[in-house]
Amino acid sequence: MPAQTGIRDGDAVFTWQNITKGQQATMLQAKPVILVVEDQSVIRMCAVELIMESGFAVLAAGNADEAISILEARSDVKLVFTDVDMPGTMDGIRLAHSIRDRWPSIALLVTSGKTILAESQFPAGVRLFPKPYADQSIIDAIIALLGEPNA
Amino acid sequence: MTLFTPTYVEAASTLAVVAASHEPLLFLTGDLRVIAASASFCQAFRIDPAVVPGRTLAALGSGEWSLPQLSSLLKATASGSAMIEAYEMTLFRKDQPTLFLLLNARKLDDGVEGRVRLLLAITDITAAREESRQKDELIREKAILLHEVQHRVANSLQIIASVLMQSARMVQSVEARVHLQDAHHRVMSIAAVQRHLSIMPAGEVPLRPYLIQLCESLGASMIYDQRQLSIITVIDDACVSANASVSLGLIVTELVINSLKHGFPDRRPGTIHVTYRAQGTQWVLTVGDNGVGMPDGPAPKPGLGTGIVEALAGQLDAAITITDAKPGVLVILKHD
Repeated sequence: MPAQTGIRDGDAVFTWQNITKGQQATMLQAKPVILVVEDQSVIRMCAVELIMESGFAVLAAGNADEAISILEARSDVKLVFTDVDMPGTMDGIRLAHSIRDRWPSIALLVTSGKTILAESQFPAGVRLFPKPYADQSIIDAIIALLGEPNA
Repeated sequence: MTLFTPTYVEAASTLAVVAASHEPLLFLTGDLRVIAASASFCQAFRIDPAVVPGRTLAALGSGEWSLPQLSSLLKATASGSAMIEAYEMTLFRKDQPTLFLLLNARKLDDGVEGRVRLLLAITDITAAREESRQKDELIREKAILLHEVQHRVANSLQIIASVLMQSARMVQSVEARVHLQDAHHRVMSIAAVQRHLSIMPAGEVPLRPYLIQLCESLGASMIYDQRQLSIITVIDDACVSANASVSLGLIVTELVINSLKHGFPDRRPGTIHVTYRAQGTQWVLTVGDNGVGMPDGPAPKPGLGTGIVEALAGQLDAAITITDAKPGVLVILKHD
């Protein structure tokens, strides 16, 4: 998986449209694609690196609207890992419901610094990780949902 | 006080008691005519005492007491089919502030057939209500602020944790990587206290779930094969202060990391036991393993972990004993 499918310099997001046909082809035949949605750029960058190093392909979005555009543009995203408290028209709770309605096969992991959230506020099957999450627990959850990346 | 005597002569003592009542009080006939009103009633609800006796309740003041709900409740009380107890009512008055009232009514039975008397006590709870509304508002604001602060702390800790792990992934030197991972464990250990505190409002941390989770996450990130090497926790059901839980958590973190790092080289299988027993103000924390034990010869130069454990034990006023348990090492912290 070429590194370009992740993000660079914190904010530039590589979407399906702005990568080459060759890159598109590489992605489709390769690893499961995971979308990270997080407005805090440092946390997002580290999450992208963490998931990429574990052998998955990663896309990133800085808010829920960007995430929706990415999901509308491509059909290979298998899992979305999203923060809850984000600027824009939707927070992570609404994003999770929206994804479950429109793309029911996409697995969802949610993280938040809010302590008053409960998994019951999310669509069924969503796993909630309070911040700060342990990197390993995120990778374990992704593998439990998608299987080993090289399998 | 003027008296109204429609048919009967009321007992003078009854009228005197009503008139003098500190709490606004109305003495009524069964068909809701006012026989007497206390001075406190006339004063509180701005009713001219001279015109009270003989009027119907509905005709008092500018008619603000003409409330269908109230009169049906009073009639039901008069007939004996209901009793008004702590009934809340809103009194809307012309050109005057609205009042919230608490009503209590009793039917007085003096044995005379067909002669029904009612006593209606009216408490103005407007000020008390406003006070409690403001208090609720303050409590709500405080809760929102607290959640906001906790949210910020959690996000800040996430940035620190993410950057430490990212540095650990990128750094070339194995030693540096281990140091960064240890730093990450320390941050996560304190973060877990923060999370427990935000759920427990009393400012105390339940030690058992905290230490169990702590050991689980240490195991998940440090143990290669959890079937070969496991951490067993036996923790008393105790709650300790936030400060004490931070110290105990960090001590457990350091000692467990130390066991995992040095006790089981070459994927040697084994067990680490973490126990906490408390009785009154006394407690004993132990972390022991059945690994390779302490090295022979002179003790190696103590590292940062040892320094942290000693400093925190001092803070908790606990004595440390390290014994060669053969097999393994047992560390005991005891506070008397």
